[in-house]
Amino acid sequence: MKKMNKKRMIIPGVICVILMAVSSWYSVTYNDSRLVAPMKFSEYVFQMKDLPMIISGIFLAAYILYLLVLLMIAIMKNKSEEKESAVTREISPKRGLFGFCGFFGFMGFWTYGVNKTVFPFVFFLFFGFFGLFYEGKMSNTFKDERYRENQMKARLTADKIALNIIFAAVLVLGQGGLMGNLEYSLIAIIIIVALSIALNVFLGSYLLYHYDQDELLDESGE
Amino acid sequence: MSDFECRLRKYRQLLEMTQEELAQRVGVRRETIMRLEKAQYNPSLKLAVDISRVVDVPIEEIFIFK
Repeated sequence: MKKMNKKRMIIPGVICVILMAVSSWYSVTYNDSRLVAPMKFSEYVFQMKDLPMIISGIFLAAYILYLLVLLMIAIMKNKSEEKESAVTREISPKRGLFGFCGFFGFMGFWTYGVNKTVFPFVFFLFFGFFGLFYEGKMSNTFKDERYRENQMKARLTADKIALNIIFAAVLVLGQGGLMGNLEYSLIAIIIIVALSIALNVFLGSYLLYHYDQDELLDESGE
Repeated sequence: MSDFECRLRKYRQLLEMTQEELAQRVGVRRETIMRLEKAQYNPSLKLAVDISRVVDVPIEEIFIFK
């Protein structure tokens, strides 16, 4: 990251922290800790003394929004650079190890039993990161016409497989409650959609590597 | 698999050119030239024309469709 970009991110953040610290001190010292200590917002009535906290809150919200905008711009810039680049991005195949985070998805069975929380099933998405292992192996590969053709073929196959799985799941689970329980159907849908997306991401990289590298082992060279 | 015969290797070797050199001149990877010579890859018209210009042989003599 460039020095200028770091400054653009850090300086407004420091200003926000200082504003928040000063307004919190003011509220605790002169305003009975209003808007600092927990309070019921349904009974809130505006007072002039609340103004410093409100202003620093607005600045903080604006800063978070600013960071999000910067993040979006950086993502879009990276994508367009990658598209225009003649070689694939350079990443370590070790990043594929993030795929093991997918096993956190199994926590969902435990959290559902404890307090009916189903969110952890979403972690099955992380299995898709296993694809980074194959993407890493193809780092800095020149994107010639055969590479682009294989990439398109791999993406199409991955999309087709994932969509077919989701289609079949919707068709089966849409018939009604799984084992007479609609919550089980919701869980099944979350798991299947998360796994299908993970499979799509993984296959996109795996198939590209497979199409590109197979039969190279028996290459005759010159 | 392929429905064509590729005689690129013969013409490339006549020019004493390596796969790498040819690949660089036509803007593809060496693996692509290797696949082409094995008739395992069907090239685009642009690549076929570029190769034909580099080896100075008409396209129809390099790629023979059955």
